[in-house]
Amino acid sequence: MYKLIKNPITGQSDVVINLLTNVSFPFDPDNTDYQAYLKWLEAGNTPLPADTGA
Amino acid sequence: MAYGTVNADVVQSSVSGVSLGAGNATLMKNRIINGAMVIDQRNAGASVTVSTATYCVDRWGFSGSQASKFTAQQNAGSVTPPVGFSNYWGLTTISPVSLASGDYFVAYQVIEGYNVADFGWGTANAKTVTISAWVYSSLTGTFGGSLRSSTNNYSYPFTYSIPVANTWTQISITIPGATSSTWNTTNGQGILVNFALGVGSTYSGTAGSWSANNYLSATGATSVVSTNGATFYITGVQLEVGSSATGFEYRQYQQELALCQRYLYRLTPNGTTTGFISTVGFGSSTNGFASGQFPQIMRTTPSLALDNGASVGSFAIYTTNGGNYGTLSSISINGVSCPSFYLVNLGFPSTSGAGGGQIGYLCTNVTASYSIQFSAEL
Repeated sequence: MYKLIKNPITGQSDVVINLLTNVSFPFDPDNTDYQAYLKWLEAGNTPLPADTGA
Repeated sequence: MAYGTVNADVVQSSVSGVSLGAGNATLMKNRIINGAMVIDQRNAGASVTVSTATYCVDRWGFSGSQASKFTAQQNAGSVTPPVGFSNYWGLTTISPVSLASGDYFVAYQVIEGYNVADFGWGTANAKTVTISAWVYSSLTGTFGGSLRSSTNNYSYPFTYSIPVANTWTQISITIPGATSSTWNTTNGQGILVNFALGVGSTYSGTAGSWSANNYLSATGATSVVSTNGATFYITGVQLEVGSSATGFEYRQYQQELALCQRYLYRLTPNGTTTGFISTVGFGSSTNGFASGQFPQIMRTTPSLALDNGASVGSFAIYTTNGGNYGTLSSISINGVSCPSFYLVNLGFPSTSGAGGGQIGYLCTNVTASYSIQFSAEL
């Protein structure tokens, strides 16, 4: 399961964390964790939303 | 003769455009990183049980269709390495598998496209390459492997022989350049180099020719995974342009480490409990940031992970006046991080007492030297 993280600097949810492995990664097309996340999304899954107020 | 002089400034090889010159022409001839298995940032020589896409010694990974069938370890079994080497990478079967057609168990390295761009693969001018290594196994026979494109649909299965068990054997396989398919020449996956430890028929093909298939090994190759306790050790891996294997390209330790740090950087504390990791700026009572420069430009913006066994509770925040604001509640890479520097988000309880604008440092909170890893592996 993945969860979005709101970036306190940009104000955007531009980081994802894999809650099973505790690995976080940015929205970078060359990042292999992000590539795996995109495949997970393509399979119809949805990440948990970012916490509000972060 | 034992020693001779070539009276020329350039010795042209049989491969067009490949020559040895009066300068240091063999520098970086080996496109494999950590081919001598010297660098082991993740495990420091410890044994790990491997599953799919597990990185072990630096740059070397293991992938299996079933988890927990092998252990992997730098210098597993403590045998004497081949002359001239100090380290090797060892894999040992801990749970034997009777191979089904779709099974695969391979040790591999993915070479970044930038480092093989001169091969000219995918063009009519594709260069011939030779892969060489020292291998050792408790089994004998014909073993397999392959080179494969990042598109997963073009591969060259190869075989090599280990005639004597538990004895180092030097192998060499020459592979004609691939004139077809698409090969990455930038920071993506260039060439996948596989050494098979047991591969089913779906991923096995005829050795000795390029094929528009995802082959990881050669048909009929020895299956290490099928024998409990079987071992496969390897070192001195070299992939070079040309139709002959040349002497292994030794690199200085720091040089090899720097090459590895493009793909993995560990932010390591200077000790265990309260071991300093990074300076921290407090944004508010509940969050802060740690930042720094990577020692090498990483392949791409990396992921952040904690060492095996560590959790956010393994780390703490201290202020510069020694006040302990307790363990972390969260840690993640910040979206503005890039290949040259990192920015890490830190969260801590609202009861921390810290305030925006203060500074402190991130440190370990347990009696273990846990690191924060930045990974940009392929």
